[in-house]
Amino acid sequence: MKMAFKEMKKSKSKFLILGSIIFLVSFLTFIISGLANGLSMDNAALIKNMPSGHYYLNEDANAKYNLSKIDEGLQKDVLAEHPEATAFSIQMGFFNDAEDKQHSVAFVTSTESDLFQYVKDGEIVLDRTLEKEGVKVGDILTNNQFSGDFKVIGFVDEQKYSHAPVAFINQTNYQEMYRVMEMQTLFIPGKDVPAISGLDSFTNKGFLDTIPSYSAEQMSLNMIIWFLVIISGMLFAIFFYMMNVQKIGLYGILKAIGMKTISLFQMIWYQMIAITAVSLVISIALSQAFNLVAPEGMPFSLTMNTVLTLSAVFLVVGFIGATISGFQIKKIEPLQAIQQGEM
Amino acid sequence: METFIIEDVTKSFQNGEVEAKILKGVNLTLTEGEITALVGPSGSGKSTILTIAAGLQKASGGQILFDGDDMTAMSQENIRKVRSSEFGFVFQSSHLVPFLTVEEQLDLMLDVAETKMDKKQQKEEISRILKLVGMDHRKDAYPPSLSGGEKQRVAIARAIIHKPKILFADEPTASLDTKRKKEVMELIHELTKSLGLTTLMVTHDDEMLPYADRVITMRDGVIV
Ligand SMILES: Nc1ncnc2c1ncn2[C@@H]1O[C@H](COP(=O)(O)OP(=O)(O)OP(=O)(O)O)[C@@H](O)[C@H]1O
Ligand SMILES: [Mg+2]
Repeated sequence: MKMAFKEMKKSKSKFLILGSIIFLVSFLTFIISGLANGLSMDNAALIKNMPSGHYYLNEDANAKYNLSKIDEGLQKDVLAEHPEATAFSIQMGFFNDAEDKQHSVAFVTSTESDLFQYVKDGEIVLDRTLEKEGVKVGDILTNNQFSGDFKVIGFVDEQKYSHAPVAFINQTNYQEMYRVMEMQTLFIPGKDVPAISGLDSFTNKGFLDTIPSYSAEQMSLNMIIWFLVIISGMLFAIFFYMMNVQKIGLYGILKAIGMKTISLFQMIWYQMIAITAVSLVISIALSQAFNLVAPEGMPFSLTMNTVLTLSAVFLVVGFIGATISGFQIKKIEPLQAIQQGEM
Repeated sequence: METFIIEDVTKSFQNGEVEAKILKGVNLTLTEGEITALVGPSGSGKSTILTIAAGLQKASGGQILFDGDDMTAMSQENIRKVRSSEFGFVFQSSHLVPFLTVEEQLDLMLDVAETKMDKKQQKEEISRILKLVGMDHRKDAYPPSLSGGEKQRVAIARAIIHKPKILFADEPTASLDTKRKKEVMELIHELTKSLGLTTLMVTHDDEMLPYADRVITMRDGVIV
């Protein structure tokens, strides 16, 4: 271990360069992951905040929630059998505020349950972001498809859908606005997946994928994240490979005097862990700082949990990269090294 | 005492289609407290027999008995253990670790040899050996700042710090000027006597021969 650190001290600049690249890569990864998570919340907080359970859509809807219609009789039966369940619908739309300014929202209505905000006829509950846009409790809102008007009775946190704030309204108001009697979706919380004939079931994640743009958005961001992680592993592999090539003579002589190959591997591992740990600590600190100062409208949400998971992944990938480059050490014959001249 | 016996050792290298027989049955017995010098023309197989004896490459045939054990029959791991705790090495180049100080080179060797010393004992032993080779004043220096002779003395210190039984030296003075050669050779001589080492040394230099207890000449892969 001492040797590992002595070498790093003696070749500071090389290790510093590697460290800063690892720092940049991991920092970028954290930021993108924060963005992915932020966008995902912005796109689907309404669903992501739900407990785990199963969603049911009409088979004919082909996994498109906005085409789904749940038969009213069937809905009644299911809700009677599963009192904790709920039926709900989502439609994108607009309302005009007291100053006649238009705001786009996702209208959500549901049967009475603890899972969604329940509002009475003529009332509306909005996501907190609308409060920042100037809407206040007590304001009267209108909608061109709705004969009456909505009175704002409160705000809720983190209820977004398809990058729009959610507006909870009563089922009868919803039925009038969108001219449908049926709900789109049934949700049954819990682990069990009761099969219901005529309906397809989806897990939370499966249902998120039915949201247009959600999976495309997440997939591309996740791909970037994994590319960055793999790049960091390759950086370690290449870096240590080049360092090792320069040190073939040294490794040979150390083997000649009887050092175990595993000790040489340990040396690389210590260096890899030290570099990664320092780089990660700086990235974590900076990304958490960024979390605090991220611009208001920027969908950015980076939890410590995500950061620690990614850090663990970085360590594992770095370990693999360093170890792969270490295989050449195994092959070094002490004799060749001795016959090479001075190092 | 005869602790190291080389018996009928042969070595062949495959050079494409042809097999080159480099060692054609070498017999040699090393005696404790003695320097055995191996001389002979270039290419006669001196380095080959030394590295085979030291367990750095395999013999094609024959036996190498060290303390009664046949090294040619040992596993790689056991040979490594013997090398680390019973053998010391000095080569033409000092082969020091560039990023360790003189003191740390020796510390590393003690760790590799797994000597049962605590840190304080290690430090005392290192200081004692460095005084012995006259390098005590440079114990915090890094190899690049040492002269050729100084490096070689550190290499010798590293070769004996763990109290090996056998010292293998392949042209240890070849890279030095006349004055330093003598110093290094005197040092090897002194240490062999005072520590009771069994030393096998390859040399090209007739001036070094007076320091040897025995001079063995090799020609074309045999001892003559
Ligand atoms: N790995 C190898 N493969 C093929 N031939 C080898 C190998 N190692 C040594 N030889 C050959 O074996 C012969 C003896 O080599 P060795 O190094 O033992 O000679 P030497 O007596 O030490 O010579 P010198 O005095 O020049 O150091 C040489 O002809 C060399 O080319
Ligand atoms: Mg030679």
